[in-house]
Amino acid sequence: MSSDLAFALRGVGAAVGRKFALRDVSFELPTGYVMGLIGANGAGKTTIIRCLLGMREIDTGEIELLGHRVPGPSDLRQDIGVVLDHAFLVGDWRLTDVERVLRPFYPRWDGARYRQLLDEFGIELRAKVKELSRGMSMKLMIAVALSHQARLLLFDEPTSGLDPVARDELAGIIGDFLTDEGHSVLFSTHITADLDRIGDYVTLVHNGRVVRTGAKDEILDAYRVVRGGPEDLGGLVGVELIGARHTSTGAQALVRTEEADLLGGRVLVEAPTLEEIAVHIGARAPHPKPLSTGRTA
Amino acid sequence: MTATARMAMLDLRTVAPYRYYGLGVFALGVLVFASKPIWFVPALVLMFTAQIAPYPFSVADKAGLETLYAVLPVPRRAVVYGHYAWAVAIFLATATVGTGLALLIARIQDVPFGGRVVVTMLTLSWALFAINVAIQFPLLIRFGYTRVSVLGTSMPLALVLGVVYRMRITVASMQSWLPLIGVAALAVFVASAAVATAVDGRRVRHGWNRRTD
Repeated sequence: MSSDLAFALRGVGAAVGRKFALRDVSFELPTGYVMGLIGANGAGKTTIIRCLLGMREIDTGEIELLGHRVPGPSDLRQDIGVVLDHAFLVGDWRLTDVERVLRPFYPRWDGARYRQLLDEFGIELRAKVKELSRGMSMKLMIAVALSHQARLLLFDEPTSGLDPVARDELAGIIGDFLTDEGHSVLFSTHITADLDRIGDYVTLVHNGRVVRTGAKDEILDAYRVVRGGPEDLGGLVGVELIGARHTSTGAQALVRTEEADLLGGRVLVEAPTLEEIAVHIGARAPHPKPLSTGRTA
Repeated sequence: MTATARMAMLDLRTVAPYRYYGLGVFALGVLVFASKPIWFVPALVLMFTAQIAPYPFSVADKAGLETLYAVLPVPRRAVVYGHYAWAVAIFLATATVGTGLALLIARIQDVPFGGRVVVTMLTLSWALFAINVAIQFPLLIRFGYTRVSVLGTSMPLALVLGVVYRMRITVASMQSWLPLIGVAALAVFVASAAVATAVDGRRVRHGWNRRTD
């Protein structure tokens, strides 16, 4: 087990019912960084997070989490904060009750920090959980995670219901959290714009497989978006068009950067956004096969 | 505090916002059963614990507390044991307060009630509670409160009452069987906790739902 890794999944397979499974999922996050887990709804992001937390047993492979093999000791969860787009707390609890409920479970609970964070977030201690907006609920769960001094934050679609201001605030909160080099973040989202500011690493998942994982800048450098007229992307030799889309007025595809030079001057070649990479790779990714199939795009 | 005790406390905190509902059920039980002080404690225990012991499951279902249970740093079995410990605490509180009330009511009504009769009624109360919870909890853990709310809370109650009625139990007839009744109820309760732990483990292994986002 490596202490330099926040977590690592190695060849993980997990069946979810009859129609969906994680297949040979492998990726890792070094300690001190933010990883974006990108995929469409139903791609397997939540299942991966559940496997990481030991909430779901895996059928194949292994998971390493903060230096322990999952399922590790229950105390391991002292170091993990989980933030969803809603608070998984009793709606009629006041935020003072939330502290009273959770404090006995966390020996490192810092009540002063909890109250300070809620104050910074503009949340009243006397408020009830059910009175909080989605953004406020998310901030409450962040306050909880930071108050028990988690080293790894797992966000599962935290921004899906947030307005741009709240999403920007979240990016700032994560930035502050990462000032400690021992802290790491896994951020599952289908809104790739969130990762432009805060993501160091990116993992793209589709149909339960990892189709690409690595440093965000490397992934952005590895591809180019090409655009042209309806016929311009046809008959190219030596160039793989990834997730090509044709309309009556034009065509667009993703290509590997080293192949972009072969296209000549008849198409427009541009640096892609994460969203474009996700869309095109997702569009061409194969449909599910048995658990032993490969993963790389 | 052990992990089980912390989870039992969590159940207490879970239902705390709804304490007036619990007090209402208790008050209703007192009013309904006050005319028969000898049978007051078993009747109150059965009615009250059948409603309140599973109440954390109801709140947890609505609030999504399964996720909280999963991320808290406690062994999974402590979640199940915590539910059972909470139920025992509810039984002890109900039996203690109920016995005090029964003694008071008996004195007011000039009904002889004390000594072995009290012990007999407390043993019967324990047995009724234990069997009821032993049936309820594995069902609630396996299917969740939403799916078995009526079945899970009413069926065991009806079953236990039916058995008691069919056996035509009297105070005198029970007294020689007290140790056996108490131990048998304990065995059923412990076996239920073991079954519930296994059921819960199976549910965790296969995930709680089919969501795959």
